[in-house]
Amino acid sequence: MSGAVTAPAMDVVLSASGVIRRFGYRTVLAGVSLSLRRGEVLLLVGPNGAGKTTLLRVLAGLLRPATGHVERHGAIGMVAHDAMLYPALSGRANLRFFARLHGIADLGRVDAVLEQVGLSRRADDRVGTFSRGMLQRVAIARALVHEPELLLFDEPLSGLDAAASRTLVELLASFRERGTAMIIVSHEMERLGRVATHIVRLAAGRLGPVESLTGRDPGAVFAELMRGDL
Amino acid sequence: MGSTLRAAWHIAVKDLAIEWRTKTAFASGLVFAVLVLAVLFFSRDPTTVSATDIAPGAMWVTFTFASMLGLNRAFLIERELRALDGILLTPAPRAAIYWGKFVANLAFVGAIEAISLPLFVLFYDVPIWRRLGELILVIAMATIAFVAVGTLLSAMVVRTRYAELMLPLLLLPFLVPPLVAGVQATAPLLDGRPLSDVSGWLKLIAGFDVAFVTLAALLFEVVLDE
Amino acid sequence: MTLRERGNRIARVGTVVTALALLGLAGVYVRAIVYTPVEAAQGAAQKIFYVHVPSAWAGLMAFVITGLLSILYLWLKDRRLDLAAAASAEVGVAFSAIILTTGPIWGKPIWGTWWTWDARLTSTLFLFLLFVGYIVLRGVLTDPGIRGRFSAVIGIMALFLVPFIHLTVYLFRTLHPAPIVLKPSRPSLPGDMLTTLMLSVGVFTVLYTGLLMLRYALGLLREAREEELADAS
Repeated sequence: MSGAVTAPAMDVVLSASGVIRRFGYRTVLAGVSLSLRRGEVLLLVGPNGAGKTTLLRVLAGLLRPATGHVERHGAIGMVAHDAMLYPALSGRANLRFFARLHGIADLGRVDAVLEQVGLSRRADDRVGTFSRGMLQRVAIARALVHEPELLLFDEPLSGLDAAASRTLVELLASFRERGTAMIIVSHEMERLGRVATHIVRLAAGRLGPVESLTGRDPGAVFAELMRGDL
Repeated sequence: MGSTLRAAWHIAVKDLAIEWRTKTAFASGLVFAVLVLAVLFFSRDPTTVSATDIAPGAMWVTFTFASMLGLNRAFLIERELRALDGILLTPAPRAAIYWGKFVANLAFVGAIEAISLPLFVLFYDVPIWRRLGELILVIAMATIAFVAVGTLLSAMVVRTRYAELMLPLLLLPFLVPPLVAGVQATAPLLDGRPLSDVSGWLKLIAGFDVAFVTLAALLFEVVLDE
Repeated sequence: MTLRERGNRIARVGTVVTALALLGLAGVYVRAIVYTPVEAAQGAAQKIFYVHVPSAWAGLMAFVITGLLSILYLWLKDRRLDLAAAASAEVGVAFSAIILTTGPIWGKPIWGTWWTWDARLTSTLFLFLLFVGYIVLRGVLTDPGIRGRFSAVIGIMALFLVPFIHLTVYLFRTLHPAPIVLKPSRPSLPGDMLTTLMLSVGVFTVLYTGLLMLRYALGLLREAREEELADAS
């Protein structure tokens, strides 16, 4: 795992090199490179307006970089601030729709993934009526339905109460067990420190060095990184 | 190509399912159509202007404005919780989004027209039975024109704060050829004249349909990028 | 050359071109009023068309150029093409606004009606309205990339709309011939009158070019300011 591009290994799930993204004359991403392997969970931190959401969207393929490119070796699922769902439809109807677009013929998969996020009982209620925590879970189900190799999360814990946060962190840990690679944008180091395997800081459109978290105290690493903010 | 059609179908079905659940846009469009028909009918001087004189114009104005009410809803539902991003994250071809919305909008507008037409006959007492099939053909061809351009434009204006204002502003100039042709073709048909009498107008609408459906489909992907 | 330098240089050239065009316009007025024969049927008031017709053409030409530049922009993605397209659209709107407001005022004594649904005027009217919408849309979109792309879409569609409006008017007039009062002059004019008209068309083309350069220069200077602000922060 490195901040620069290395020779592609068999289990590299995503690699980006020299990504530049502008808004008018402002440079939002000033040459970002990273690569991620199966099973790695990268925590992406940084001050507001650093470009973290933009980076995630470029990695997902929703935005095109001005220069540089992104190579994806596997399917991607994304959970962002907006749930990417239709409030007028039920969780099940939403998931069936996205499953069909992914070419998934077996709709049993929808039931399985609803089960996985713990929403089987509310599967036929309109998601427009859901609380933020439940909506988040449907969104995760949507991101999971096609069994992606990589999951991208943009501030997944924002707006969740303590109980919902705990449930979500457990869910993330379960994904890690299965070997799904993840990139999580968050400043909630305390909760996510134990799920993440690596941490990197984005500031003013540039990525700092990637720090491994295995065998180290997450709090200490985080504090070291955050000193850059002052 | 097959995957585009399949994805477009799923998108169209999903759109219609959502509209079926809420029915708000449809109900508003319908009420609006009735109001326009009624107001145009009652605001004329019955001694100098016969109902049959203004009937074609009234019908087409009604269809046009009721359609515009429905066009914005197609992309509003995609923006509420950014579901469109969800679609872009799937392997579905981007062109399928245009075709799916196009079909759903056609169905929506078609439904409003289908219900307004009998009401139109009721108010204006026009003998549409003489040439009902031909009339439906003209209406269908012009509706394709409205929806082809309207789908593209609504995708653009939906992200602005003034979508309801911007859509008619930008769309109406494009509706001039099919609208004028529609009105001009309707009057002779209501008089009982054969389809061949209005072949010039029909060819105009047909040409417009081919040109603008193609153009809108090609330009749609430009509108999706960020 | 920086954006600012380029913008200033084009503004200088544009000012010269516009000044020349305005001089040329004065020359055309003189020629039209003094040296061109008076038209038999319509009298002295007909001379308005040496100004009116070419300016309508300039307006339509401006919109066609916007459409062509829009295609180039989508293909080459150079922001300056978007600025030029938008500049042409605004110049076109300005020309069209003048035709549409002064036309009826001058036309009433000659044509007998305020308005005539001929192909040129009808196209001018609807394109004017469409490009007002284009300008409004640009005003409402803040992201320059989105603004450029959306404007280009409208510009390209407008290009394809023009022939259909012409066709619509043509069909309309063959089926509903207008009562022959007095019509705007056809291009097939006798010698002197044709020369005056062609001169006038030439002058208006130069005027369009000058105004286009000025408006484009303004766009460049705005971009220059954006760039300077971004660099400073």
